[in-house]
Amino acid sequence: MFSIKDSKSAKLEQALETQLKTELSEEAINEDELFVLAEYDEMAGEKSGYSNYSYWRSTFQVFLKNKLAVFLVFVLAVLLVFTFIQPYLPGQYPANQVNNHPQTGKQLSNMSPSLTTVLTSAPAGTQLVAESVKDEDGWYTVHNVVDSLKARTKFDIIEYGEEWCKVEYKGKTGYVKNNFQTKLKLPDDPTAVPYESRSNFKIDIYMQPVDYTNAGTALYVQSDLLTIGEDGLATTNADAELRILPSEHAFWFGTNNIGQDLWARIWSGTRTSLFIGFAVALVEALVGITIGVLWGYVRKLDRLLTEVYNVIDNIPNTIILILISYILKPGLSTLVFAMCLTGWLGMARFIRNQIVIIRDRDYNLASRCLGTTTTRIIVKNLLPYLVSVITLRMALAIPGAIGSEVFITYIGLGLPVDTPSLGNLINEGRKLVTSASLRYQLIFPVIVLSVVTISFYIIGNAFADAADPKNHMYKN
Amino acid sequence: MLKYSIKRLASSLVTLLIIITVVFVLLRQMPIEGYFDNFEKADAATINAKLEQLGLNDPIPVQLFNFLKNLLQGDLGNSTRYSVGAPIAGIIAKKAPISIKLGVLSMALSLMMGIPLGTAMARGKGKFWDKFGTMFIVFINAVPSAVYYIFIQLYGSTALGISMLFDETNYLTWILPVFSMSLGSTASYAMWLRRYMVDEMNKDYVRLARAKGIAEKKIMTSHVFRNAFVPMIQYIPTSLLYTVCGSIYVESLYSIPGMGGLLVDVIGRQDNTMVQAIVIIYSCIGIVGLLLGDLLMGVIDPRISFVKKEGAR
Repeated sequence: MFSIKDSKSAKLEQALETQLKTELSEEAINEDELFVLAEYDEMAGEKSGYSNYSYWRSTFQVFLKNKLAVFLVFVLAVLLVFTFIQPYLPGQYPANQVNNHPQTGKQLSNMSPSLTTVLTSAPAGTQLVAESVKDEDGWYTVHNVVDSLKARTKFDIIEYGEEWCKVEYKGKTGYVKNNFQTKLKLPDDPTAVPYESRSNFKIDIYMQPVDYTNAGTALYVQSDLLTIGEDGLATTNADAELRILPSEHAFWFGTNNIGQDLWARIWSGTRTSLFIGFAVALVEALVGITIGVLWGYVRKLDRLLTEVYNVIDNIPNTIILILISYILKPGLSTLVFAMCLTGWLGMARFIRNQIVIIRDRDYNLASRCLGTTTTRIIVKNLLPYLVSVITLRMALAIPGAIGSEVFITYIGLGLPVDTPSLGNLINEGRKLVTSASLRYQLIFPVIVLSVVTISFYIIGNAFADAADPKNHMYKN
Repeated sequence: MLKYSIKRLASSLVTLLIIITVVFVLLRQMPIEGYFDNFEKADAATINAKLEQLGLNDPIPVQLFNFLKNLLQGDLGNSTRYSVGAPIAGIIAKKAPISIKLGVLSMALSLMMGIPLGTAMARGKGKFWDKFGTMFIVFINAVPSAVYYIFIQLYGSTALGISMLFDETNYLTWILPVFSMSLGSTASYAMWLRRYMVDEMNKDYVRLARAKGIAEKKIMTSHVFRNAFVPMIQYIPTSLLYTVCGSIYVESLYSIPGMGGLLVDVIGRQDNTMVQAIVIIYSCIGIVGLLLGDLLMGVIDPRISFVKKEGAR
């Protein structure tokens, strides 16, 4: 028995010895070197256990790797800045101003989106009927209608064309439109001119075979492009841009049905909606953190707060939102209040759960034994663990609040129309959705809203991922 | 389990009582116009007589007690503006069936869409379905439902060649509302199922099954999916809440004569008693949904224990 054991251990010893010899001999440590003082070597110093890991730097490094999220942060930043500077940019229409046509006084309702006010342009030397505009210096109204005939007035056609017919009326020549709207009375062979004709409708005689009007109303042109003749007629000096408004500033996103500028309203609405979002997120964070910390840290409150949580959590949030908005006067503060009433719940519960987990860890116990005050433990030991979750929830609260606002406005409990918000813009646009030409009034606010909400959602999630230390791959 | 069920039921009842009290007291703070169909024309004596008749001049605790007493007999009071004098319970009884039908259909549809989507996402991590599903989930979660419902209604009705409004007899018109209502839950099912399945797939028993040479398909269906589905049960009640809230908007959008549309209607007409009744009913649905979810979890997953662990805290 013994011999076997001895022989086995002898074998093992031998094996170890050979291993030591082969492996250590490779290192070839010189006997003298073992006892020589080492010089300070920076590289070797780095090699030791020192780590320059910083939580926040790693978080940002990981976040910056997510190109989409970084791009969206940029988009949001630009959008945010733009909503604030937009009213101060030159040539903006106030969001609540009802824009009227300077000539007819009618509201410029449902004007299609357009990047320019130029409707058409007239070549140099075109004769036009011009009149200076009262309140707008430097602008003239122009058109090329020389005469307006009552329905069934007779005139002579002296030259026939598919679109325009040259006519003579009371010794003057001009052009009339030949289309389904004028329905000229024509003989069997309309090209055999001249002949007498009439229309069953009111008909305009134009100076040129071109319509230089905006569906009947005059166009605007800058005065320096015109030479005013003695007979009240003006001639264009150069190619003149004929505009529908005495302004170079167009309604980029069109106007709504009472002539308000949709562009200005959308940015004003984005401002309101973002304000609601940020306000709700902020209150949610403040209330949620406070209650969550109390709930998790103060054992006596645990029972009570759990019951309160269960009661509120049992009611659908939407119902609370509707109820509060119904009872209180509609307005910004009501909306924010109603959304905050339920928003803190999720935050508080999460913080409570996390605090329950980490409050009795050894380092906190040690802290308490050393006499650290409770406030300091909470602020310095507990909350830093939760920063990522808090920011995530805040980032997600913003699109949530904006969405709730849209919903509440639809139900009819939202903001009044003179406070534009993305919610009431979308609601206004929704009513016109059946008519394809007015659909832009829904599409534009929806695009802005989607960009804002999706950006916040993706950024929030990307940040939460980045803030998770598991994703901090340490490379140096 | 029985003890837990009874306790859970009792706490639900207490919650319900608290909610009814709060809703009742809050709605008594509303202006009294909401109780009259012709407030502007009525004189002070008529108003007072009507208030007296409705019992609104009593102190609030007495009113609440009377309300609760009537509630036990299934009497929710009478409508004051929406349909003057008609008992609310009757109005709702007429409207509820269609809401229930739509709700059940959309919950079924969301399960049918959400589960395959979630499974496909988990199986092909990083591949087409995963990317598609992620995009879908981000879209549904980020963009307010109020917005995409409009577009579903607009383009869906054109594509199907039907009217934009709901018609109970034409089953084609059921498609769009049911589909709209199911989207929110579909996204949440897919998201959670994917997460749970990926978690399960990394566990040791799956590796063992693979080592044993079990077909990948079988591992997925009878190991991963079954285990991943258990925690999903708790999202079914949440999905019920989603559906309920979605129904408020969808029903009014498609003019569906259901309860959700009714709520929007009576809010517009400031009918206090109706608002009160419907809000209470919706809260009930919420409570019952969560209660069922909790009980269902206990029945399905034997690992969950309802006995409080002492000493852990």
